[in-house]
Amino acid sequence: MAGIKVKAKLKKGVVNVKAMAKHEMSTYNQMEKKTGNREDANFITHITATVNGKVVFDASTSQFLSKNPIFKFNFKGIGAAGDTVVMTAVDRKGGKLSGKGKLK
Amino acid sequence: MERRQFLNLTLGALALAVVPASVRAEDFRTLKPNVWTAHTVDDAIKAMYGTTELIENGSVFLKASGEAYNSGKKAVASSGGAIPVVFSTEVPAKTISVYQDANPESAVIVYSVNEYSVNEYEIKIKMGKPGTITVVVEGQDGKLYAAKQTLDVALGGCEG
Repeated sequence: MAGIKVKAKLKKGVVNVKAMAKHEMSTYNQMEKKTGNREDANFITHITATVNGKVVFDASTSQFLSKNPIFKFNFKGIGAAGDTVVMTAVDRKGGKLSGKGKLK
Repeated sequence: MERRQFLNLTLGALALAVVPASVRAEDFRTLKPNVWTAHTVDDAIKAMYGTTELIENGSVFLKASGEAYNSGKKAVASSGGAIPVVFSTEVPAKTISVYQDANPESAVIVYSVNEYSVNEYEIKIKMGKPGTITVVVEGQDGKLYAAKQTLDVALGGCEG
């Protein structure tokens, strides 16, 4: 299980989150070159962030995000300093990634 | 025996299908599989929203590799492996999606906007050759707002 680094900062009522998922994010063509099998491609297909059990960020993704992709996003109306931002992601092979960061 | 196996398989498949749905909010890879296999931006947008009618009125802000879409300059990315793409909008949105036309398939990411969202995002994407990045915002009014930025890629990021 690989991880996601999460940094969250509360600023003027808006929470800024910067997250980095550790993942190869290989494309079909890359893997075809490397192993000869396009189906070896593996990348994050879905990523979610929750605070206090509520979803604050939700995205479906493709192989064209960079390796170790970075996600920056903002939310407001939920979360106070000390709360935890929990992020989970699923990749094409069903592998799970997760990570959390304390809201500062 | 065959029938029993079939039933088991079906139940297993159902269980698999149901569990993630309760964990995830909206998985557009299962909801709209055609978006992710489309080879052109138009096809992908059509698969996603059913139309390709885009309104480019400046309500979506897009900056790729440091150049804003309305700066009139062509952005240049030195490496196609990680091109920073920044975008935001004030439009009350339902979904926001990003496409490019340099790679074999077009769709990059689809966000489902929720009640807590502040629609300012940054991601890093891969592009194998020069191309155009398109950001589409599906407004709560059902219209599609968009911004495009063309950029040069000096070194391909994902070998096509």
